[in-house]
Amino acid sequence: MLEELAKIREEALKRLESIETEAELTELNVNILGRNGALTGILRGMSKLSPEERAALGKEANEVKQCLTAAFDEVKARLEANAEEARIKAETIDVTLPGVIGTPAGRLSPLTLVYRQIRDALIGLGFTTYEGPEVEFDDNNFTKLNLPLNHPSRDMQDTFYVDDKVLLRTHTSACEARALMTLEPPFRLVIPGRCFRVDEPDASHSPIFMQMEGLVVDRNLTIADLKGTIDAFVKAVFGETVKTRFRPSYFPFTEPSAEVDISCTICGGRGCSSCKGTGWMEILGCGMTNPHEIENCGLDPHEWKGMAFGVGVDRVACLKYGINDIRLLYEGDARFLRQL
Amino acid sequence: MKLPLKWLKDHVEYKVSHQEFANLMLLRGFEVADIIPEMKATGVVVCTIDAIEQHPNAERLRVCSVDIGKTDETGEKQNITIVTNAQNVKEGDQVPVALDGAVLADGMVIHPTKMRGVESLGMFCGGAELGISDAEYPGAGGDSVLVLNERYENGDKIETALDLEDVVFDIELTPNRTDCQSILGLCREAASALGQRFTEPEIKHIEGVGDATEYAEVDVLNDTLCPRYLARVVTDLKVEPSPSWMQLRLKLAGLRPINNIVDITNFVLLEYGHPMHAFDLSCITDGHIVVRNAKQGETVTALDGKEREVSNDMLLIADPTKGVGIAGVMGGLNSEITDETKVALFESAVFLPENIRHTTRKLRHSTDSSVRFCKGVEPVNAEKAIERAIELVYELGAGKVVGGLIGTCEEKIEPRIVHADIKHVNAILNTDLSGEKMAELLASINIPVTVEGDKLRIEVPHFRTDIESGLETDQDIAEEVGRLYGYDNIPPTLMNGDTFRGKLGESFAREDEIKDLLCSMGFMELYNYNFTSPQEYDALLLPADDEKRQTVRLRNPFGEDQSLMRTTLIGGLLRTLRLNANRKSGQGRFFELGNVHFNNNPELPEERRLLGIVCTGADESFYTLKGVVEQLFSVLGAKQLRFERGGGEYLHPGQKAHILLEGECIGEMGGVHPKVLKSFELEKSAYIAEIDFFKLLSHLVAVKKFRPLPKFPLVPRDLAIVVDEAVEAQNIIDVIAAAKTAAIVENVRVFDVFYPKTPGEKGIPEGKKSMAFRFELRSEDHTLNDEEINRTVNQILKALKFRLDADLRS
Repeated sequence: MLEELAKIREEALKRLESIETEAELTELNVNILGRNGALTGILRGMSKLSPEERAALGKEANEVKQCLTAAFDEVKARLEANAEEARIKAETIDVTLPGVIGTPAGRLSPLTLVYRQIRDALIGLGFTTYEGPEVEFDDNNFTKLNLPLNHPSRDMQDTFYVDDKVLLRTHTSACEARALMTLEPPFRLVIPGRCFRVDEPDASHSPIFMQMEGLVVDRNLTIADLKGTIDAFVKAVFGETVKTRFRPSYFPFTEPSAEVDISCTICGGRGCSSCKGTGWMEILGCGMTNPHEIENCGLDPHEWKGMAFGVGVDRVACLKYGINDIRLLYEGDARFLRQL
Repeated sequence: MKLPLKWLKDHVEYKVSHQEFANLMLLRGFEVADIIPEMKATGVVVCTIDAIEQHPNAERLRVCSVDIGKTDETGEKQNITIVTNAQNVKEGDQVPVALDGAVLADGMVIHPTKMRGVESLGMFCGGAELGISDAEYPGAGGDSVLVLNERYENGDKIETALDLEDVVFDIELTPNRTDCQSILGLCREAASALGQRFTEPEIKHIEGVGDATEYAEVDVLNDTLCPRYLARVVTDLKVEPSPSWMQLRLKLAGLRPINNIVDITNFVLLEYGHPMHAFDLSCITDGHIVVRNAKQGETVTALDGKEREVSNDMLLIADPTKGVGIAGVMGGLNSEITDETKVALFESAVFLPENIRHTTRKLRHSTDSSVRFCKGVEPVNAEKAIERAIELVYELGAGKVVGGLIGTCEEKIEPRIVHADIKHVNAILNTDLSGEKMAELLASINIPVTVEGDKLRIEVPHFRTDIESGLETDQDIAEEVGRLYGYDNIPPTLMNGDTFRGKLGESFAREDEIKDLLCSMGFMELYNYNFTSPQEYDALLLPADDEKRQTVRLRNPFGEDQSLMRTTLIGGLLRTLRLNANRKSGQGRFFELGNVHFNNNPELPEERRLLGIVCTGADESFYTLKGVVEQLFSVLGAKQLRFERGGGEYLHPGQKAHILLEGECIGEMGGVHPKVLKSFELEKSAYIAEIDFFKLLSHLVAVKKFRPLPKFPLVPRDLAIVVDEAVEAQNIIDVIAAAKTAAIVENVRVFDVFYPKTPGEKGIPEGKKSMAFRFELRSEDHTLNDEEINRTVNQILKALKFRLDADLRS
């Protein structure tokens, strides 16, 4: 029987060399090591042998079994490695082919993007969001803001009227009156919203535009605070390197008033066609709230001071993203929106 | 306001570059919008025509040998050849010649060209090519080549030779600085900006001979609308062109020279910012000026030759028989100064700005005078203006000045004194300036100030009407001190005082959330205009009594098609789809979160914020949009979302649903009605949802709470039932939700509906359909056994049979 064992081993090892598939391997395994396999058969026949023969054969059989098991494992590992290699080869692709998108992502309007940047910068400075209606009383839009009927500055803003007393607000400053009349000072507000002026649409004008008002009412406020606050949010939107410039101006609802320019976002201040060679671009108007406005809205102008600024979100969006036609912001052309 | 540098130099020393000057003015609040050269053409030089020959090939052309001041190393003249068709030039004439690269006033660039075989190296110029007229240089007004009437150096730039090298600054004024609607006002600011002190020129009072009241009298019948009216008389007029220095200044400032008398009034208008007028006194009946309200229906023919009907809310300058001018706007043609005029009445008045503004609006006509009256002029300046005009009459020898000032309200106007608190001014500016320093700064713009303890005592000059006496004084003075000190010199600070906690309000946060979610689902955000047309509501098939027809109408819209404030976002959304289809942008998903207005309130219109979502394209259907709404509401934490058949007329009758949260309808959605698609020129089906934002907000879970994950396994089951065709998925869901069952039943979803194509197909009787739905069973405290599962399924089937007459499909 020893010869038989040797033969089994020899044949099995020989067969293993030529095995190519897992199925063949399993079959061979069953034929030799399985319940009815050749080796199992020999082991089963051992009961008829003498104890000495049994011991010798048993030892030899175990050796053969171990040897074959190891050989089987080795072949199995080889086959698995081959299979994996084949699979990887089969699955190798051109990674430069385009990706597949289920639903392409949408886009937020640049107006929303800029609004959020300004808003979040101001929230960081302690401002709280606030808003008011788009269709407003003349009183809140003008009279309360130190712009009584027949004030020449009303000519600065061509207004859409609904009737003698109601209009489309020309600036978010209209919300200042509402805030001053209803909120308990001190407060810091950021007020976004749509505004309307009778401007025929062209590349730089839109009859509808988005503004954001900043309004602070407190006991001690200075024009230096106004400069610092505007500087802070301008840097948040345009980056740390941008410079701001304050220059005197006039608004009936602020005194002193200023207009703020930032260093040109296109040329960095060297002067180019976008900034008409000046190196500066105008982005907002601001000032210390006129004491008449504070008084008109029922607060004591000797106790409460205010400062305010109004930013054109459209304008900032155009400057920031280099948009050359403001009408694109209101047109809804996906080819435009997709770029930002 | 145009400030010619020549005029500025009459009063201020100017040694900076134009750009520096513009910058200095800007930092004081005067923006120089444009710097316009006096001579628009460049590259044009003086030349002498040494010789002229007939062109060999052209009868009308002549070939000129021209000296442009060039010589070679031996000193030999290097003449150039110019071919010209000008007939008015002769040998020896000096003329302007545009050389290679010259740019003419109209923008044309000159290059050497061959004219009929002879090369011409440039072109002779006339006034038109140079952009000048007689006002700049006598003779420049004609249309032929300008033959210079003095000798100049050949080769000199023409602008240098003619002394037209200066510029005109176009300065934007803020409406508070009415004093700077004048050359002198701007010179005052410019002097200060350049570190000089401006001295207002003295006006020499011309006493005149005789008594003006013998020639004229003035009655002001409405002294509210006309608080001051001053007049002087000049006889023996010599009406002729005004001197060239005056013509040049008028021209540079943008006014056309007419004759010496009119030019004097215009010169004073520019110089002092105070409008004036001169009447031919012989045309004024009885020499009697009456300032009165117009009579209804009265007409006046103004200087521009147009007859205008005036109304009784307008102020008229009249004589006893007729109107001779519309106060503050324009004089009348009937009393115009002509070459024959011998006696003139000069008028300098103050009119109420509101009234002039009203008049110009009503007449739709404004003039250099009315613009200034609208912004406001003041009485002291009225007197200066008339004195200056008379001085100019005298200086120009334009006539004999008659003694006496006719007029009303002649009493002396006392200067206003205001006090500003030094500490408060410093507090506004965050500066630490002494009272003396402030006084010094203010003195630089001719505001006299003395320091009295902790106050500034300010003698407000008559021209600074913008400086208030009262509540705003400290701020007004702080503004002046601030801009003179320089905002650049005030370092920025961050606010101190109470510490604030900034906050993003709930509705703002929800807007962000909604926008971000829709974005992630492939929608692009829109900001559509709020304006819409009445036709759009017809296009949306809205019945006459539809709430959306309660629109707010603008009084002054751009046109009928933009005359209404929108009450719905739908029109804008559909127009966006059309635009994107036309431009083949490949995008079909859009949304807008915006306000609409309803004219349903006596005070302010009701403002609602709507969320509009639209989609179109081959893969879109009612269900894809519904999926978006469901997904959105699920993430937002909307409570008890339901859809019920129904919705507006603009929606497809078979594909529309109300959207309900906790039983309240918060919006609607559906396919767009085929008729509406046609009206909006949309070829593909579109689906639209419109949701009331604030109603939605009221049904959101404030903070979502975690529910422990199920400990015991879910058992999924599918059932197919046969029901009446009319039964909808929601009916099944509702029945199951209401049924008492042994196990918990969740996530009921209909996943298949089968209508038999022929009656009895697959055993489904006529009028019936099959619906397959899936649900999950579970228990809170144990694993379900078969008996419980079967019992629950039977309970469901029983409830469906009882409520909907549903049978299990065999």
